[in-house]
Amino acid sequence: MDINVKLVGLFQTGRFKQSHRDYPSTTNVQDVIDDLDLPQQHFGIVLINGVHADVDTLLSEGDHLVLMPVIDGG
Amino acid sequence: MKFQTTDPASNPSAIFYKRCTLDLASGEMTFADLPCRNLEDVLGGFGRSFQDLAKRKVKNAYSDQNPLIVNTGLLTGSSAMTALRTYFSGYSPIKGSKAGLPAAMWSTGSGKFGAKFKWTGLDELLFENRSEQPVYVVIKETEAGPEVELKPAGHLLGLSTHAKIMTLQKEYNNAHFAVIGRAGENWQNNYMGAVALSTENQLKSQEDKFRFAGRGGMGSLMGYKNILALVAQSSDKVGNVSEAVKKVNLNVIKGGGSARIQPLSRGGGGGTWAAYDVLQTFHAVPVNNFRPQGNDIPEKLFRENVEREYDIKSESCYRCGITCHNNISAKNADGSKGEFLAKFDYEPLNLLSTNIGIHDAGQAARLIQLGDNYGMDAISLGVTIAYALSYNQRHPQTPILNGATFGDYEKIHELVIQAGEGQLPEIGKGSMRLSASLGETSYAYHVKGLEIAAYQPETNPGYAWAIAGGHMSMGTYGLLTREGKSDLDSWVRGITEDKLHIVGFDMIGLCKFFDITKGIGTQMVVDCLQSEFNLQVSTEDLRAAVERAFLRGLALELRQGYTKAEFCLPAEVAESPNHNIRLPDISSADFFAKLAKRVWAIFDAKLEGLPDNQ
Repeated sequence: MDINVKLVGLFQTGRFKQSHRDYPSTTNVQDVIDDLDLPQQHFGIVLINGVHADVDTLLSEGDHLVLMPVIDGG
Repeated sequence: MKFQTTDPASNPSAIFYKRCTLDLASGEMTFADLPCRNLEDVLGGFGRSFQDLAKRKVKNAYSDQNPLIVNTGLLTGSSAMTALRTYFSGYSPIKGSKAGLPAAMWSTGSGKFGAKFKWTGLDELLFENRSEQPVYVVIKETEAGPEVELKPAGHLLGLSTHAKIMTLQKEYNNAHFAVIGRAGENWQNNYMGAVALSTENQLKSQEDKFRFAGRGGMGSLMGYKNILALVAQSSDKVGNVSEAVKKVNLNVIKGGGSARIQPLSRGGGGGTWAAYDVLQTFHAVPVNNFRPQGNDIPEKLFRENVEREYDIKSESCYRCGITCHNNISAKNADGSKGEFLAKFDYEPLNLLSTNIGIHDAGQAARLIQLGDNYGMDAISLGVTIAYALSYNQRHPQTPILNGATFGDYEKIHELVIQAGEGQLPEIGKGSMRLSASLGETSYAYHVKGLEIAAYQPETNPGYAWAIAGGHMSMGTYGLLTREGKSDLDSWVRGITEDKLHIVGFDMIGLCKFFDITKGIGTQMVVDCLQSEFNLQVSTEDLRAAVERAFLRGLALELRQGYTKAEFCLPAEVAESPNHNIRLPDISSADFFAKLAKRVWAIFDAKLEGLPDNQ
């Protein structure tokens, strides 16, 4: 299935900003994180079609997935 | 401190802290070893100072009744990583209730002053009254114990924060400094004066790389008392680091708690500046007085766009492995590093750039540098200027001040200078007073008289219950953006249980980046206290002490005349919803009213059960 993946901030380094990627039908968010080798210690926010989601959420054809590092402080 | 027990929670009175009380009017000083009243006293910082402020009836921040309390936390100066904090407490000139009473306030910063202060042997310095002449205060380690001396400060008068530190450095070896700038000297017209704290990096490089205790006008209170600087002179006292503390320190760096703050070059997140990228995804980066426009304008100050033209160097506080500072310097024609400009942290960067219509990194850096050298709180300064610019946008025919508008760098630059020199009370006294004088308060972005931080209030109703400003005394600023929580239960729990614990760091002497999400009620802190002082304390004891300290802050706000109606967000948030922000809408008046009802039901009950703090 086609998943439109957008990476934010440091996750873009050595990867991409936005890319359509093909995944099997039972893919969840964690599978994408693993596939892209995103550093777990920075992992913060998942949006699927603009809505916050968990890493174990199953993805569907055409989903827009945004993966962001955590933020804190000021 | 002196320890005659290993059980600070059950037997706090067997632990003593050394206080010097200095009457600035007479020059008289007294030293005392005082028994701790409770665990909050043992931990220190605002946990102790607020108990003393609560004993005083202060109607005017600039009065003899208002003390300035300078203290440290239990772990300040220890071998625990980030243990550098100094606390400045008093009734605030800028934060106050509509009844006209000043709020109790603390402000804190790193730099090495706090550790040097602790190593003199003193735990607390309490200033009474005010000096007739400008003075500076030397706190010195001697074989007989700490000594405190008042010195004439005529030669420091009118100097910038950095120049004061550089001047004092020539006079005092092995010392660190806490100074005010011209803003604090002009306390009558500037209520947002900050205290600048020297760093090792600053003293070595001679560049203006300091840290600040910025919030609440503690620098203005120091200026009112006619104290231009504090000098802490002592030998360094970090010995061998125990295995237990080594393990904790390693966990601070490697354990993930501070990973997002560390440099990109070490696989970190690149400091708080990285919040720009994340918040922009939601169109929640403050733009033009907290009105994000749903466009890509904030991206101009993304790191990737700044580093093309400027040199960015990651640096750290003394002995801190987190290395959170992003220091921006000009680039020379040959690409080498040029003049140091400023440190880019999320708050000062946003509030002195994107939120006032400035999108050029060099201009932003200059405004930050200017505010730092005048010694002004970047948050209060930026937000008050943003209010004035917003007013002028709404009243193009009858603008105020110099007619500055969003993005007009030259005129904004002029406003900063005038405010810093005490010539512009409209800005210097903060957004609450300016907006009230103009009769347009709805878009003044303060809560309880203190300007909010660079997190949109639409995303953080928790601001209303922050007891010392913005995000650093109520950690709910990420509850919607980061955690996606938009239900009442999560927000009630966040405000009344989990997120208030962020203030624990403002007691114990550690920086929040030690473990910002978990607070101080952790095994890491327990292990440090055991290793450093042989104190046996549980995580539950620590959490209970933090909650009591927070509740005392809340009680003090109510005593100083705040009505519950003043625990609110800027009116524009609910009156004019910003649909550009791509997050679940929790900004309605209805949501807030329901939240307030439930939060107060819990806090009221806890306040009734708050033990007598004598």
